[in-house]
Amino acid sequence: MKLLRIRMEASKNNGMALGFLTVRKHPVHGYFGGLLVLNHLARPLEFHCTLPVLTTRAQQILYGATLDEFVCGEQIGRALVLKAKSAPSVVFTDTPASLSLRHIHPIPIAAIDGSWHRGSSTFSQPHLDRSDLQVSEVGAHKLMVLPEYRKDLNVFEDLFQSNPPNIDLIEPFGRIEDALKEAHPATKAA
Amino acid sequence: MNVSSLSIGSLTDRPGQNEVPTNSVPAFHSVDLNAAWSFYGELPTLSVESFDFPSEVDVSFSCEFEDLHQWKPIQALPIQISQSLPKTIGFAFPEMPNWNKPDPKVESAQEKTNAVATKPKDGESHESASPPRITRMRPPGDLVRLEDRLYYVLQPPLETIVQSAKLTFPFQPFPYQMEGIAFLFPRAAAILADEMGLGKTMQAITTIRMLLLSNELSNVLLICPKPLVTNWVREFRQWAPEIPVAVIEGDSHKRHWIWNNPQAPVKIANYELMMRDRELIDDGSLQFDLVVLDEAQRIKNRNSTTSEIVRSIPRSRSWALTGTPIENSVEDLVSIFEFLSPGYLNDDMHLKSMGKATRDYVLRRTKDKVLTDMPPKLFRAADLDLTAEQRASYKSAEEEGIIQLNEMGDSLTIQHVFELVLRLKQICNFDPATGASAKLERLEADLEEVAASGQKAIIFSQWVETLDVLTEKLAKYNPLQYHGRIASHKRDGVIDQFKNDPSCKVILMSYGAGAVGLNLQFCHYVFLFDRWWNPAVEDQAINRAHRLGVKQPVTVTRMMSVDTIEQRIHDVLEEKRQLFQSLFAETGTPGNLGLSQKEIFGLFGLTLPKLQTKAA
Repeated sequence: MKLLRIRMEASKNNGMALGFLTVRKHPVHGYFGGLLVLNHLARPLEFHCTLPVLTTRAQQILYGATLDEFVCGEQIGRALVLKAKSAPSVVFTDTPASLSLRHIHPIPIAAIDGSWHRGSSTFSQPHLDRSDLQVSEVGAHKLMVLPEYRKDLNVFEDLFQSNPPNIDLIEPFGRIEDALKEAHPATKAA
Repeated sequence: MNVSSLSIGSLTDRPGQNEVPTNSVPAFHSVDLNAAWSFYGELPTLSVESFDFPSEVDVSFSCEFEDLHQWKPIQALPIQISQSLPKTIGFAFPEMPNWNKPDPKVESAQEKTNAVATKPKDGESHESASPPRITRMRPPGDLVRLEDRLYYVLQPPLETIVQSAKLTFPFQPFPYQMEGIAFLFPRAAAILADEMGLGKTMQAITTIRMLLLSNELSNVLLICPKPLVTNWVREFRQWAPEIPVAVIEGDSHKRHWIWNNPQAPVKIANYELMMRDRELIDDGSLQFDLVVLDEAQRIKNRNSTTSEIVRSIPRSRSWALTGTPIENSVEDLVSIFEFLSPGYLNDDMHLKSMGKATRDYVLRRTKDKVLTDMPPKLFRAADLDLTAEQRASYKSAEEEGIIQLNEMGDSLTIQHVFELVLRLKQICNFDPATGASAKLERLEADLEEVAASGQKAIIFSQWVETLDVLTEKLAKYNPLQYHGRIASHKRDGVIDQFKNDPSCKVILMSYGAGAVGLNLQFCHYVFLFDRWWNPAVEDQAINRAHRLGVKQPVTVTRMMSVDTIEQRIHDVLEEKRQLFQSLFAETGTPGNLGLSQKEIFGLFGLTLPKLQTKAA
């Protein structure tokens, strides 16, 4: 696992809030989304998750191959970000399909390359049918954004240059997935 | 009606594909899709209520029909998709744990020590080239509220907490030790039942340290056997140097002051002390966030005064540390649970139910499971024939003894049988008339080899008198003694001398004093000159040497006189050992693991007198 471990003075980062967004699909119960907001020491500030989201037949027909983008970004991502009171400055995601959140919310969001290769017997990864994501190496990670918002990469680069968080950027997604299973015990049994 | 063609245009032209994000939801058109789909005779009828399209979306139908005049008007049904967002649940963390930083001076000193010590002390360190591990806390099963459970699920891995809090360790803990810390951290009631030598002390201290630094605890009481108090103090100094520790000792005034001293968040008391300070405990003025019992098997008799006092201490959390949660029977475990969670278990529970009920509370690991690269224990059975003098004395004593026991009839008690057993066992060690000893002959031969190779040995016996004789006979190895008759304040000095004085090749220990809590992993030879009644106690004794940091295999020589009471006891002990192992594997039905009175009487072919049915 790649780690981003850049030492920093704790006082400099007081007040920093980083969002970590995960959306997962369950074969029976539909989509589950979780947003974990951490401080610069990886300590949790707040957590929100959705109730299971089932798409309608109409949505499936209308959105077709872009259904996951719609549900992950515009529905689940938006609902969760709007709930966050600690106002994360950026959002990292392990679900590229949720990058579409950026279409309807100004918060910079980037997918971390490789973060979705954790493997899970419970959930599957929503689908993103795009090959034009913009990639930039920030710290030890490759961050990906939608091409329309490539300028957001500057925000991430500035963040890591000025106030580099001393945390593993991939690890929190495991916490979110565990929390989703904890919050929705039915997913364990199915 | 024949459909030549039908197309729905611009459906993918959705909002938000532009550079400017759209925060407001655009106006929607309603389109009757039921009507449109009705052209497809072979497609299922759409059952949804409606579709809404943003105003930018250009929805057009291009149709070419044959016999257009036959087309019937389509009825439009305006239906809409809900615009509401998914429902969410969530919470803000009540407050971020306010980690008290370790004393910078202590930390700095320790960092220097760590920098100098490139190799772990006593080989205890665990260097790993593997990628960083992640050890997560799991919520205990008895936490019900989702918020409480998520509080632990969402905490960072222990490794991250350690790093961000700048906690330093004398050496890198093993992964299983981190798992043990993650197990203890969230639990209000827990038994850490790792096999001896796996570092229960370190795991408990580190968890206490982390809980204190995160302000989740402020007042901890640790109770251990008296001989281990100094060991705990030393371990705290090593693993949590910034945590002030107070040992409860001295006269009653001093103890009273220490009990109530708020400056020391960790207080260490011994079991023996509980009785003397009962009044203070009973008056209800003391309250602890956590009470930890080391060697918790000490309260296995739940009716003992010590057990009653310990259970009465007001506290929020209760942990028990023991390598032998079940020494003799499952009642031992029930007694420990009376401290952890009174009434949770009872003696009448079926074993499977008990195993299921305790699963979330007990963490037990064995060396063979977690330390696969640890040097093995090599057991040597020294099955010896008695010398001619010993055999004669033994035969005479046994025959006379059995005759006497038989003559006692119904007045025969277990104590009478025990007396005979002990007398015979002593003869197996030394002939009372001549001092002849087959074991000593073998021991001297083995020690020659041990000393010649520059090694040291531990010799265990259940009798101090035997240790005294051995001290005299093994004088050339400069033996040291460590047993109940050695004053407790001198015991650390004995261990230090044994460790550091190259002329001291042998330490003679009693099972009672030397079986628990000592770290003698520099010693690779253990001799059991005679055998204890309980295999768990023997294992503890052996594990003084075979524990974390041991670099070489530990050779354990079990001395036994064949065709004697020792062999008969050995057979029973072996059976008990297998039963103990089977209990934690949750297989089989162990039943009572202790020597029953029937078994003890059976050693001499005697039958159990009436009205004596209680287990020994």
